[in-house]
Amino acid sequence: MAQLGSPGHDAVPIGEVVAPPFAKTPDPSALFRDRSARLRDLAPGHRLGAYLTFLAGLTEVQAALAEDLPPPDLPDAEALARSRAHGMPALDRERFPHDPACRDTLRRFFAGASAIEMPAESRQALSAIASADDETLAWMVQNVVRDSIPAHDAAPHVFVAAGTALHAARCASAVDASWLVPVGEGACPACGSAPVSSVIVGWEGAHGARFCVCSLCGTLWNAVRIRCTACGSTKGISYQELDDPEAAEGAVKAECCSECRTYLKVMQQAKHPALDPVADDVATLALDRLLAEDEDLRRSGRNPYLLGY
Amino acid sequence: MNMELSRRAFMRGAGAGLAGTAMGALGFGDIEAAHASSIRAYKLLGTTETRNTCTYCSVACGIITYAKGDLAKGEKATIIHIEGDVDHPTNRGTLCPKGAALLDYVHSETRLTQPKVRKPGSDRFETVSWDYALDRIARLMKDDRDRNLVEKNNDGVTVNRWTTTGFLAASATTNETAWLTYKVVRSAGMVVFDNQARV
Repeated sequence: MAQLGSPGHDAVPIGEVVAPPFAKTPDPSALFRDRSARLRDLAPGHRLGAYLTFLAGLTEVQAALAEDLPPPDLPDAEALARSRAHGMPALDRERFPHDPACRDTLRRFFAGASAIEMPAESRQALSAIASADDETLAWMVQNVVRDSIPAHDAAPHVFVAAGTALHAARCASAVDASWLVPVGEGACPACGSAPVSSVIVGWEGAHGARFCVCSLCGTLWNAVRIRCTACGSTKGISYQELDDPEAAEGAVKAECCSECRTYLKVMQQAKHPALDPVADDVATLALDRLLAEDEDLRRSGRNPYLLGY
Repeated sequence: MNMELSRRAFMRGAGAGLAGTAMGALGFGDIEAAHASSIRAYKLLGTTETRNTCTYCSVACGIITYAKGDLAKGEKATIIHIEGDVDHPTNRGTLCPKGAALLDYVHSETRLTQPKVRKPGSDRFETVSWDYALDRIARLMKDDRDRNLVEKNNDGVTVNRWTTTGFLAASATTNETAWLTYKVVRSAGMVVFDNQARV
């Protein structure tokens, strides 16, 4: 951001006509690889360092499995066309709980995750779900996709959420992004889930455009800036960030809506390419705490790693 | 409002949001508590981003104005950055050199903020009140029109042309302002008129 009185102005990409695509489906390997690298970078010296390191471990397991698993099944062409015609998400996330491929992904994810270092409570939760039957697993996946994780049972659900996210990202990666259509305010066009946060991207052809990032499948969809992603209001939008001299100014801001009293984080990836919509969401938990305490605002972004906030 | 939002509001009312956190349940409760007690070292920094239309020309590019300081909280707001609006269909985030330099015009020391007049024979501008400026302009326009209005052409047809005074209007006007400007200016008979100043 230009400082008052300084001659600096943003570089203008001359000759580039910005025409952002409506949506971009994820590349699961790159998605989880970059995210784990970002978590490893953030951890040293951070007050939540131990937790970020633990999440980096989980994300590395996601990244390894993304390369390893067989290609996911796609809904057939007829189902896709029907979803598109009726403004529905391409993937039906209600099918995940009973999808054998999803269960297989989860079991392999639990096996991989057992190798990472974690506190006793995590270990206990992981071994409990590693031996859970199909029915229990399906119930937990259903809680994850319906965003109704029981508050007293958070630990096992975090592992299930991470495994389901891997499955969802792989399914979404097989969907042709140009087929996706808007399905509603704050809903992912690929799977219908809520966003985790939003990013202002620096891609060629979309420089400066804002995209919401799906909390489940990682799909990005274009969302007009300075407009509440939860209720669509353009009135009473303001931005809050941490007054932290060590952080880059304007890198992560909360877009606050005075109409529905919620906020979603906006990350300036165009200027700070390392920012990750999930990793930096956890790393900027201080912003969530202050917004809840000082401004009485609620998160509209969903992040299983920040369950309870 | 979407479903997620309304249901979450309900959950919060039911106290579900406060019962447990992922971090605590996973065994990171100690660092979570330390983190909670450390945040008092920080405070929030508020900024606003506002959509507007570039004031320069009839292309009417979309701009985003960044300001620090919350007027609603009685703070003084300052514009800190202006950029092209990527979501605007006209310019898609780009700005011409004049638009890109808007921030410097906003903060320019020589920016015109009140009416000024340089009287005949004087070598300097002096500041005058809006009342004085508007009365003076109206008086001079009326005198000029009374003297120079062409009521009929050579064939004796009524034309009511006022050719000795011209009117240059602003470019960032709304449709309604442009309509009103046109009605006022044309009704007075003025024919030298540009409602959308060119680049």
